[in-house]
Amino acid sequence: MKTFEEKWTAWLDGQLSGRELAEFEASLPDKAAAEAEKTEATKLRKLLKSEIGVQTLNNAEFFSHQLRERIARESGGASRVSGVRRMESSTRWTVPRLLWTSAASIAVFLACTVLVMRDKSGSEESQYLTQILNARVDPVVSPNATVSIFEVKQDRVTVLWTEGLQTLPADYAAK
Amino acid sequence: MGRWSALIPIVVLISTATPGLRGAESVWSGLVIAENIAQPKPIPPELTRIEGSLKKFFGYNQFQVIGQSQKTLKTGQEDWLATSKFFGLHVDARGENDLGYVLNLKLYKEKELLLETDAKLSKRSPLVIKGPQVGSGQLLLVLIVE
Repeated sequence: MKTFEEKWTAWLDGQLSGRELAEFEASLPDKAAAEAEKTEATKLRKLLKSEIGVQTLNNAEFFSHQLRERIARESGGASRVSGVRRMESSTRWTVPRLLWTSAASIAVFLACTVLVMRDKSGSEESQYLTQILNARVDPVVSPNATVSIFEVKQDRVTVLWTEGLQTLPADYAAK
Repeated sequence: MGRWSALIPIVVLISTATPGLRGAESVWSGLVIAENIAQPKPIPPELTRIEGSLKKFFGYNQFQVIGQSQKTLKTGQEDWLATSKFFGLHVDARGENDLGYVLNLKLYKEKELLLETDAKLSKRSPLVIKGPQVGSGQLLLVLIVE
């Protein structure tokens, strides 16, 4: 059973017909005033349609996404897991991406460390080797003697190599 | 106490990792005759550390110590002599730093100076000097910080 207001709205919208229309119009106390009001309402509806229209959204997808997010947050009834998943999907730094980024960072760090350590160990290696500052052979006793310096990496041995020293008899090997 | 005890491993770690001086060290100086012998004797224990390098670099299979000296350095300014019957190696330490000792070395054949050199002897790096040929062998001078 519709109320008078419902029937009135339906009559203004032109949605009453048949017996229902006849009964409603018969119940109107001042049909002329009602018709005038209906005409005004029709004009107003046409004016609103033509002037305002429907505003189109440029970023409808984003708007609806934001709206869904807000609904999900405010509803609070959703399970924690699904909430976490929504949060993950809404951010760029997902757990797998974080893991991969961390692994890549560690790999880069290790590579740099190895390179630096290799350079450093090379310089330290030479730093810790014995150095020959100078060497002299008596030119009178051994006029053709020469000296050279070698480094034996195996045991970090530094060798001062002389050539052309006077050869001595085996007796000189005595203790 | 708990907070301080936590520092102990750190201090130990730092002290062991620092390549600086850790008290007095000794330098072994040796006059060595290297030869190729059919039945070579075992290498003297002082040379075990560099046995591979000696054999590979000089090409001999026997190394015998004919004179030696073990000197403990306290000030880094000491001097000493390693002698055999005919040779004398005079070592004059002229200072030290974290890496080793600055040494002046003189090899004498009796009283005749054969060779003189200045070297920075590293604590991690032995020094071998090829001396004159003696008979079928070779005189080597070896200095090792122990």
